[in-house]
Amino acid sequence: MASKPNIVRIYSCFTTGTESTVSLIEVSISPGIPTFSVIGLCDSSIRESQGRLRSAFKSTGFNMPKGHITVGISPAYMRKAGSGFDLPMALGILFASGQLYLPEGAKIFAEGELTLSGDLKGTPGSCIRLKTVRDMDFDYRLIPAGEASSAGLAGFKGQAVNSLSELTDIFDNNSYCEQDFSFTNDTCGDDFIDISMLKGQEKAKRALLICASGFHNILLMGSPGSGKTMAGKILSGIMPKLSPGELSDVYSLNELIGGEAEKISDNRPVRIVGPGITVSKLLGDSVSVTPGELALANHGILFADEFPLYKTEVIDFLRKPLEERKVNLVRRGTLYSFDSNFIFLGTGNPCKCGLLYEKGSKCRCSASEIKRYLSKINGPFLERIDLFSEMRTISGKDMASIYTDKDECESLKYRDIVQGCWDKQYSRYGAGFLNATFPEDNIKDSMRIPDKVIRYASELSEKGFFSARGFTRILRVARTIADIDGAEDVSEDDVSEASQYRLRGF
Amino acid sequence: MYGQDTKLSDFFYSAMMLNTDMNYRTYADLKENKAVQNYRDLSDEHILDRIISGDYDLKPETVNKIKKLKDSYGRIMKITQKYKKIAEENSIKVVSCLERRYPYNWKVLSGMPKVFYYRGNYSVIDSMTLSGSVAVVGSRNASKYALYATEQICNELGTKGITVVSGMAYGIDRHAHIASVKTPGSTVAVLAGGADNIYPPANRDVYDAICAEGVVISEMPPGQTPLRNYFPSRNRLIAGLSDCTLIMEAGAVSGTLHTASFAAAQGKEVFVLPNNIYYENAMGGLKLLEDGGNVLLNSESVIDGVARSVMYKRIGMGCSAELCFRDNDENVFEDEANIGVLRELAKLKPEALTDDNWKILIKDALTLKPLCADDLCVMTSLPFYKVSKLLTELELNGTVCQEKGKYSLTFV
Repeated sequence: MASKPNIVRIYSCFTTGTESTVSLIEVSISPGIPTFSVIGLCDSSIRESQGRLRSAFKSTGFNMPKGHITVGISPAYMRKAGSGFDLPMALGILFASGQLYLPEGAKIFAEGELTLSGDLKGTPGSCIRLKTVRDMDFDYRLIPAGEASSAGLAGFKGQAVNSLSELTDIFDNNSYCEQDFSFTNDTCGDDFIDISMLKGQEKAKRALLICASGFHNILLMGSPGSGKTMAGKILSGIMPKLSPGELSDVYSLNELIGGEAEKISDNRPVRIVGPGITVSKLLGDSVSVTPGELALANHGILFADEFPLYKTEVIDFLRKPLEERKVNLVRRGTLYSFDSNFIFLGTGNPCKCGLLYEKGSKCRCSASEIKRYLSKINGPFLERIDLFSEMRTISGKDMASIYTDKDECESLKYRDIVQGCWDKQYSRYGAGFLNATFPEDNIKDSMRIPDKVIRYASELSEKGFFSARGFTRILRVARTIADIDGAEDVSEDDVSEASQYRLRGF
Repeated sequence: MYGQDTKLSDFFYSAMMLNTDMNYRTYADLKENKAVQNYRDLSDEHILDRIISGDYDLKPETVNKIKKLKDSYGRIMKITQKYKKIAEENSIKVVSCLERRYPYNWKVLSGMPKVFYYRGNYSVIDSMTLSGSVAVVGSRNASKYALYATEQICNELGTKGITVVSGMAYGIDRHAHIASVKTPGSTVAVLAGGADNIYPPANRDVYDAICAEGVVISEMPPGQTPLRNYFPSRNRLIAGLSDCTLIMEAGAVSGTLHTASFAAAQGKEVFVLPNNIYYENAMGGLKLLEDGGNVLLNSESVIDGVARSVMYKRIGMGCSAELCFRDNDENVFEDEANIGVLRELAKLKPEALTDDNWKILIKDALTLKPLCADDLCVMTSLPFYKVSKLLTELELNGTVCQEKGKYSLTFV
C-alpha cells in the first residue's frame, strides 16, 4: 500500500464562454467531524457534487471517507460552474483516503460528471476544454466515454472511462492505455435540396451560385410559394463541406450550448431564424455567455426568413456582426468574442400581399404601402447585402419538368464550381478569406481590377445604377463572377452583371 | 339670426349635414312645403321654431329631425365656429350654390354640393367654364407608359388653356397635376377630405404647387379627415366638374371605373388610353373601350370633345364665341429593324447573333409587356449572366428600365 498523502492534486478544466481555463483540484482529508467543503468561487452545480459522489462511491463499492474533507479548486479567484469536476474530485478523495493507489509523482487530468450509480457522463464545452489541454503534459488523461467525439475533433489523446469502477483497473492494475479518438457521426449524409428545383428562376440560381462562391450576403424577395425558404437548404447544398478545422469550430460551439451536437456533420450549418427572434437569442446571452444564432451560424448560413417583418432593433444589431464577422459579449468587464463568419441569407415578401413581382399586376398594394413595408430594411443594413434577386412562383410547366427530367446532382456540379472559386480566392488572399470577407479596403490591386473596369463602374455609378457606397460591393461581386468564369482579371462584363443584382425599386 | 351672416350659414350647413341625421330628403321636404327659402334658413333658430310649431304640412320624420337639430343647435354652432377658425387659419374660402361664381358644370347637374370650399386661385374655376376642363384619372399604381402619356397629354391640354381636374392621389393624379399646374390651363385638385387636409401626405409638394398656381377644392368642411366612403363622392365631383373624362389606366377593380361611370351618367365623353391587352392593370380601361369609350389617341381628340362640350354650354348660357383649339402636329413614325429575320436566326443559329442583335430582340419582347429577367432568359434561351449584361447596357443607354422586378421600355 502506498503512503497516505495528505493532499492530492488532480488537474481539470472549465469553460467560461468559449474560453477555457485549466484548474487544479486539491483534496485534503484530515481527522475530525465528517464535513465536506468545496472552496474556490464554485457555483452550486459543483457544491452539489458531494451528493453525487457519496452515492456513486456506494454504488461502485467505494466509501466516502470519514473526516474533514476539503476540496479546493484553483484559480480560486475565477468563478466556476459545471459538473465536470465530479471525476477529479472523486479521484482526489479516493487517492487521499487510500482507496486507490496514486502512482508516485503522476500528473492526472480528469473530467466528467458522475451519476448516482457511478457512471460517467460528458458535460457541455468538452471540445473547447480538450483543445486547451491537448498539448499539455499529463501522465493520465481520463475523460467520460460520452466525450469521445469531442476528443476526436480536438485531437485529444487519453482514455475514455464509462464508470467509476473502471478506475480500480486503471490505477490498481495499471491498465492505463492512451488511445486516439476519432470523430464519429452517423448522420453525415448529404442533406440538401437540389438547385434544379429552382427551374425557370435563372436569376435566383445564378445569384445563389455567386453568393456561395464569394461568401456574399444575399437577399431574396418574392411571392409566397416561390421557393424562398427552400433557398436556405439549396445554398448549403452548393457550398463545399466543412474543413476539419471548421467542423471542430462548429461542433465545439454546438456542444457547448448542449445543442444537438450529435447531429453535426460536415454539412455547413444553416441557422434558421424567424421574425420573433430577440436580440439576446441572436447575439448571445451576455449573462451566461452563451453563443447566439450568429455565432452558431459561423462557417455556414444565417437564414433570416420573412426578413421585412423583423423588429428594427434586431436589424440594427445585425449590422455590426455582419461588418466585423464576429460577435462580442461583455460580462463583468471581460470581453468574450465569438466568430460569426456566415453568409446572411434574407428572404421576404416584397410587399404586404407578396405578389409584387408576379406576372401581370396581381399586387394590389399602393406605393406607400410597399414603401412602408420595406422601410425597415432600407438604409445602412443594405450596405451589407451584396446580392439581391427577385423570385416568382414557378410555372406549372417548369414544375412538371423538375419532376420528369430530374437532374439529381446539379447541386454537386455547382459545388465543384464553388470549391474551385474558393481555392482560387484562398491562394489570392490567404486561407480563410473570400471575396466578400477579404478585410482590405483598397481592393483594386489585390482583386486584380483593371483601371478601365473601375472607370466603367464609376460610369454606372454616375448614371445612378448604384450608390458610391455600393461601389466596392459591386466590384467584389464582379470579382466573384470573374472567379466563376475562371478569369484572371475582372472585366466590364462582370461589373455589368454584378450591377443587375443590386436592390432597386424601393 | 345667423341667416344674415351668409358665410357662417354656409359653414353651418356643412356642420349640420356631417353631424346630424339631416339629409337631402329632409331638405327636399322642407323646400317643397316652402318651410325654407334655401338651406341658409336652417341656421336661423326662429325658422326652426316655426317649423316645429307645425305651421307646415311636413312629414313627421322631417319635424322630428328638425326638433333634434334644434336640440343640438348649440353643439352644431360650436362646430361651425371651429370650421370657420380652421378656414381662416388656412385661407380657405367657402362658395355657395346661391352665388354666381358657383361652377356652371355643377349647377346643371343634380346632387352636387350646396357649398364647397377652396384654397388657391379661384379664377381657374371661373375661366374653366368657357375654356373647358378635363378630368384625368387612373391607377395610383400605374405603369410608366400611362404616367408618360398622362404627362404628355396633360401638358398639351394645359398649354391649350384646358384645365386638368384630378384627385391628387399617387400615380396618374399626381403626374396630371404636376404636368399641368404651370400651364395656362392650370389644374384643380378635388380632395376627399377638407381642403386643408393633404391626402396622401406625401403629395404635399403637389398640394403646395396647386395652392400657388391652381386651386384645391373639397365639399368637406376644413379640418375634415378623408374617410373611405368620401372617395366615391369625390370621384363624382371630379367627373361633374369636367367636360371630358380621361381614363389613363384602370385595373379590372378600380375606383377609376366609378369616375368613368359617373361621367357617363352625367353625359360626359369618356376617353380611355389604349393599353396592352396582356397588361392586367389596364383591363378595366380596355373594358370601357369595349363598352364604347372613346379611344385616347392624342390630345387633339380630347380637345375636340372639350370644344363640343363648351359649345353646348355656351349655347345654354346664351353666349357665343368662336372656338379654336386645334392646330396640327406631325406624326413621327420610326423605322423598325427587320425583327422577323432576327427572330428566325435566334431559333436556328443563336450563336450567330451579336449583342446588338440580342438587344433588338429584347427590346422587341418588351414592347409587348414588361418581363422579368427570368422570362427574358427563357425567351432568348441565353444564360442569365449574358442577359444581365445586355440589360445593364440597355439600362445604361436609357432604353430599358426596371420597375417592380420587371423590365420595360422607357418612353423617352
